[in-house]
Amino acid sequence: MSSSEDLVLSVKGLTTNFYTYEGIVKALDSVELSLRRGDTMGIVGETGCGKSVTAKCILRLIEPPGRIDGGQILFSDRDPKTGETNEIDILQLAPEEMLTIRGNKIAIVFQDPATYPNPVFRIGAQIAEVVSLHQDLGREVLEIRIRELEDSVKNSSSAEHQAKVREQIEHYVSMLENPPKPDKKYARKAAWAKAVDMLRLVRMPSPEQVANQYPHELSGGMRQRALIAMALACNPSILICDEATTALDVTVQAQVLNLLNELKKDIGASIMIITHDLGVVAETCNWVMVMYAGTTVESTSTKELFEHPVHPYTIGLITAIPKLHENKERLDQIQGTVPNLINPPTGCRFHPRCAFATEICSRERPSLEEVRPGHYVACHNPQGNV
Amino acid sequence: MSQSETLVSLANLKKYFPLTGGVFRKIIGMVHAVDDVSLDIYRGETLGVVGESGCGKTTLGRTILRLLEPTDGTITFMGQDITHLKGSDLRNIRHEMQIVFQDPMASLDPRVTIKNTVGEPLLINGIARGPKLRAMVLDLLQKVGLTEDHLNRFPHEFSGGQRQRICIARALALNPKFVVMDEPTSSTDVSVQAQTLNLMKDLQDEFGLTYMFISHNLSVVKHMSDRLAVMYLGKIVELTPYDIFRKALHPYTFALVSAVPVPDPRFSGRAVLLKGEVPSPINPPIGCRFNPRCIFAQEICRTDEPPLRDVGDGHLVACHFAGELDFGKSSQMEYAQTAEAEAS
Repeated sequence: MSSSEDLVLSVKGLTTNFYTYEGIVKALDSVELSLRRGDTMGIVGETGCGKSVTAKCILRLIEPPGRIDGGQILFSDRDPKTGETNEIDILQLAPEEMLTIRGNKIAIVFQDPATYPNPVFRIGAQIAEVVSLHQDLGREVLEIRIRELEDSVKNSSSAEHQAKVREQIEHYVSMLENPPKPDKKYARKAAWAKAVDMLRLVRMPSPEQVANQYPHELSGGMRQRALIAMALACNPSILICDEATTALDVTVQAQVLNLLNELKKDIGASIMIITHDLGVVAETCNWVMVMYAGTTVESTSTKELFEHPVHPYTIGLITAIPKLHENKERLDQIQGTVPNLINPPTGCRFHPRCAFATEICSRERPSLEEVRPGHYVACHNPQGNV
Repeated sequence: MSQSETLVSLANLKKYFPLTGGVFRKIIGMVHAVDDVSLDIYRGETLGVVGESGCGKTTLGRTILRLLEPTDGTITFMGQDITHLKGSDLRNIRHEMQIVFQDPMASLDPRVTIKNTVGEPLLINGIARGPKLRAMVLDLLQKVGLTEDHLNRFPHEFSGGQRQRICIARALALNPKFVVMDEPTSSTDVSVQAQTLNLMKDLQDEFGLTYMFISHNLSVVKHMSDRLAVMYLGKIVELTPYDIFRKALHPYTFALVSAVPVPDPRFSGRAVLLKGEVPSPINPPIGCRFNPRCIFAQEICRTDEPPLRDVGDGHLVACHFAGELDFGKSSQMEYAQTAEAEAS
């Protein structure tokens, strides 16, 4: 897709395989993806289509027997102060360099809020850990010390003491521009304060109290909010939500999605939402990518996708949802099941289930092409008005 | 739907779970999972049950089948009081009622072949054995879209959708009249979900089944059901023969409906009507159980519990102000009307 746009992430030809005893599982085959700065993008598809694997590749979390066998993941890192951008290929980074990106510049919220937080640490401590690992808290620590000294000035009656403390405050203020490395005790305090701030940001009721609680004391929705707070603690450029609302009730899901929509304005991060629910995509995303069996099949703006779906799989996916306004006896269904990726179908991976398949579909793999302005499809026989 | 014939009838059904604590595991409280539910299920219909997690919908389903002992109230099945049946009487009545569970992997024995899993109820009840059993099992499997090759396979060799079909085949083995479907599609993808739902509708016509369809997915329940019961904290708050996306009289039903994501970007960005979470069923709120979260709550809601009353045409609502409240229009309703207008 065009390079002139301000892309924060661009994935090209990403190929990932899992080397199992049964054979090589071709989980991702030349996945193409681009995320513009400030966008919310949805990745939709059925179980096993490679949505989560894509997210894990971006964070380099693929473990053996899995291996990333090709492609590029270009992350354009913008310095918040200077505004300069610096393009990095994530796949070329050393594991230590990856530590400065994972959880810091690119953060992820996983599906199951019950298993993901560590049950033996307090919520606040888990968020504070992320903060103290990735951030140099020098400035925050100085601010805390200045505030403490200011309090002591107010409370003291001796003029001599006050003058001494004022001098100390001025000294600290002068250091604010170029803060020194903080000492451990104050750094911990600053990280905790930041954790409470993050909990407040995600609209947690009584954040000070929640920071002191353990994960089992929170409900599912609150836990998921705490995890979003943890992911946002370092002001990431990209927030990936991997089925973040799937385990929640609709009412709680609506609260979390609303929160994400609101936070988008506050934090300026680009968000990637991985889901199998097209309703969630319609509510939150402005761009959407449909995946099938490890390939990108369609990628366009959300409005365009719902108005003019072009790929037969996308059309099938949209018509398979029970509609609120219809009283149909039977649902339209996509025939067959998702293929085994050890032996994926030749050519277009969707052709055995496709009603519009022709001879070329089994022979040649379609490439991702722009069929309408801003609408990319990988299909030999695109449907609808193209 | 034949309104006349009642298959299952519940009167003031209650199921409490004791909560123990302390050194001697004394009972320190009761979880009011199902609290005073009265309900009729008619022959041949599908009764949908929706609600948030923890509202007691699964407990209700299991208590009707006597998989859980009811604390109080009566269950009448085909005109017979089955609340206190024991031994062979209970076993005989269990032919007629079956259940399909949520997680098909957990409800199939991983070390038993499909043939034996589906054949077990037939064998235990002495209906068939040997070649006749095999033929009956094959017939059942073919009805749910599986083939002869699958007979000797184990559960792990199947996909999620196929496993759910096996569970359905097993539930239908004894030719039951009443089947409880407990979240049968919540662990499957939309395309598989569509296949499973279509299959269940076909089987209902073929075997003349009555379903109780439990789910938290409102659009699925709406698609499947003739009547719909909305549960909140162990109680039925609304029981309606209408489409809840168009006509909801209880504020909770309306809030629940308005939380469903609309698959159309033109109607996104709705207000969240439900703040907070479901209160604990150990100490449910006094008065109307929904009052702490209800934006219309008045003084009477905090003191008096509203009865489930008929507001006409078999539409039952447990709200003091049923029919008097103006909820406005949900984006779901606007979406439905626009989509309908565009279709015609």
